Amino acid sequence: MPSKGFRTDVSGLSSSHAVDLRVRAKAIAKRLREDWQLYLLLAPLAIWFAVFLYKPMLGLRIAFKDYSLFLGYSGSPWIGLENFWSLLTDDQFLRAVRNTLAISAVSLLIAFPAPIALALMFNEIASAKLRRAAQIIVYLPHFISVVIIAGLVIALASPSTGPVNVLRSRFGMEPIYFLTVPEYFRAIFIASNIWKEAGFESIVYLAAITGVSPALYEAARMDGATRLQMIRHITLPSILPVILVMLVIRVGNLIEVGFEYIVLLYQPATYETSDVIATYIYRVGLQSNDYGLAAAAGLFNALVALLLVWGANRVSRRASTGALW
Amino acid sequence: MGARSARIVPVFWRRSGRALCWRAPATVADAGAMSGLARRDASANSCRPGPRLYPTYGFSLLLLLALMTCAGCANAADAPAPQAAAKPLDLTIHMHFRDKYVWREDWPVAKELTRFTDIRLRNVASMATSSSREAFNLMLVAGNLPDIVGGDNLKTQFMRYGMEGAFRPLNALIEAHAPHLARYLAGNPTVRRAITAPDSKIYHIPYLPDGTYARGWFIRADWLQRLGLQPPQNVVELYTVLKAFRDRDPNGNGQRDEVPLFVREPAELGRLFTLWDARSSGSDAAHDFYVDAGRLRHPYADDNYRTAIRNVAQWYREGLIDREVFTRGPRAREVLLANDKGGMTHDWFASTASYNQALAHRIKGFKFSPLPPPASVSGRRIEENRRARVRPDGWAMTTANRHPIETIKLFDFYFTDAGKQLANFGVEGLHYDVIDGAPRFRPAVLASKTPVNTQLWDAGAQIPIGFPQDYAYERPWTDKIALDGIAQYEAGNYLIDDFPGIALAGPDRRFVDRRWPAILSHMLERQQAWILGARDVDKDWPEYQARLRQLGLDHVLLAMQSAYERQYKNETK
Repeated sequence: MPSKGFRTDVSGLSSSHAVDLRVRAKAIAKRLREDWQLYLLLAPLAIWFAVFLYKPMLGLRIAFKDYSLFLGYSGSPWIGLENFWSLLTDDQFLRAVRNTLAISAVSLLIAFPAPIALALMFNEIASAKLRRAAQIIVYLPHFISVVIIAGLVIALASPSTGPVNVLRSRFGMEPIYFLTVPEYFRAIFIASNIWKEAGFESIVYLAAITGVSPALYEAARMDGATRLQMIRHITLPSILPVILVMLVIRVGNLIEVGFEYIVLLYQPATYETSDVIATYIYRVGLQSNDYGLAAAAGLFNALVALLLVWGANRVSRRASTGALW
Repeated sequence: MGARSARIVPVFWRRSGRALCWRAPATVADAGAMSGLARRDASANSCRPGPRLYPTYGFSLLLLLALMTCAGCANAADAPAPQAAAKPLDLTIHMHFRDKYVWREDWPVAKELTRFTDIRLRNVASMATSSSREAFNLMLVAGNLPDIVGGDNLKTQFMRYGMEGAFRPLNALIEAHAPHLARYLAGNPTVRRAITAPDSKIYHIPYLPDGTYARGWFIRADWLQRLGLQPPQNVVELYTVLKAFRDRDPNGNGQRDEVPLFVREPAELGRLFTLWDARSSGSDAAHDFYVDAGRLRHPYADDNYRTAIRNVAQWYREGLIDREVFTRGPRAREVLLANDKGGMTHDWFASTASYNQALAHRIKGFKFSPLPPPASVSGRRIEENRRARVRPDGWAMTTANRHPIETIKLFDFYFTDAGKQLANFGVEGLHYDVIDGAPRFRPAVLASKTPVNTQLWDAGAQIPIGFPQDYAYERPWTDKIALDGIAQYEAGNYLIDDFPGIALAGPDRRFVDRRWPAILSHMLERQQAWILGARDVDKDWPEYQARLRQLGLDHVLLAMQSAYERQYKNETK
């Protein structure tokens, strides 16, 4: 690298370096001149990234500070790792990490395959009309606000008027106040999430399935393959790269569990299983204006997520060609 | 204050951009007589103030004009309005409050304020956010401080950022230039202490609510009558009554669908704790600390609390408390009362009493009456909830303010008779008339479909700036049943002192800020589990106490106690 030349003698840049730089600058200028339209197209996104994603990263400093809104980034006192220390010694935070991972892991096991199965089923519906109707019905909940979904869930799980409890009391069983029982929280949360999102997420897989060559199916039919066999040996392997990419993205979001929805559904009585990192940050960091602590928790979050994505990407690259990078 | 119509308010000067603007002097009586359209026209004067300019080349001209017009006004100024500023002045204010309002120059009250003080407050808060806290934070982060900052729930912010240099200490200014404010604070040492920051300076002027009781117990008196029961006088009788509500079908529909006791906010369930001599909060905020003989305590760490929880859990198990109390949500009262199911609650006097009228035609004989607090197991009757003596709301001036004297005079204005009337009752002639020396709302205001307080808010009165509220503004339009209930409570003297809050600084603040949320969430977690019967309070108690200690409750209490003593020592009360 040219750094050596700079260090030894700045005024008399060795000619080879100067030439080297000049050549490179010329090459860049040429490329800009020739393809400027492409760069122009790229610019808005690049600027967006720089302004809204990279510049705010400078603010991560506040994770190491007793941040004051008035004193700002540079004026707030530096407190080193105190924020991180208070997080890692707080077992409510550790519990939140555990809950986050648990909810995400179960979601990954159950909620991740759901849209794939849904896409396969849509693909098998012969009548186009029926198929379109079914699709619209399962897409719909995606467009409903979480506040309304939470209201629906609260009504459905109500101990006096909720259908489940009405049914239970018909059979002479005691009603259960579902939303205050820690053991039910994850099930309710994940099930309602599947209902809300599976349909919409299946769009990606449906698109991938449409891309599978019909010749393969024709050949299989000639060989007398059943529908199930075709799904197992043609459709699934064909969309595997898409599945894997979606998996990597999903793993990256493993540590991020929808915050508003949990806040709407949880109760102190269910913190034991429902309190996730995001709600913890909200309660501890933002409600008491402790931005330093909240930033530290966020940073911790991001590091874990990065690690997970990197790991998942490695696995995925080994398993197929479908890696993110 | 009677001779207001004779007063001529000094000429109104305004400079906008390069041009000098002049607005004709208007009397208060003129303004009152003007039609709504004319008023709007007057406000739409072409003199829209531009950025504030300091006297430059136009100054001599201004002076000349001022001298000319003042010759006319001097002789009429026998009853001078309280003057906050010697010359007309524009100040900027950041005031985003209650998550949906900002200060508006076209409020009738704001215009009236300008007439009185010759100060015009120009709002700089954006309506783009529906979170007042966010608006305040953004204003601070942006670093472009206005002259005045106001709003609700800003006390800790005023103190913290005041000590860091964002807000100006007001002590000396009050002594020198704000006689009414100084007199008020001298007469109300608790208020003075409550707004004093840890560095013993005052950074904000608070909103001071008036009135005593806020919430109280309400019970279906018609149900009691139907079942041949008397209003419960103590906790044992209350238990019997609630059981009768549950079992004896007081709504007469043949089904056991009554919900004997319900609350809208789960925290209100805690008012039951007082029946076992425990507490749920010491202030008008939920789950707050309380003061017991000079010692700061937390209600959820007391021994009586265990007894209370044990009993409330039993009531819950027996179906005396709404099964869905934690998830029913803010419409619980409306739904349960309208469906003739709810028997008793603890809620705001005025709004709860109003259901009597609202449901009169729907439910025959519907009577939801205030009930004095039943006596506790030891025979004490208290109503824990009251109106705060000092709200953590108000306004402050920033260090960027270049007119501190004028600003403190503005703050002082709201402690004069004229200012108090303006902040409490709105504009004379528009909202109220002075009859027999006292402000009375005009019939049109009282008869309007819009509630009186909403009308006042929309006009810029009764907003969380620093002013002493006058309960007289509320009495004329408060439901009679509510007033009777409050009078009943007053007669019984169930009021207790509230904890006016403390201010922490430095490492103490950081420690408490950091520890307290975890402690409180543990307390609430256990509280719910106990009430719901998922856990047993008696089995858990030693472990619970140990856990609170481990989470640092003792240290939090210690830090707060020393702050309390520093702030309220020598308290006479």
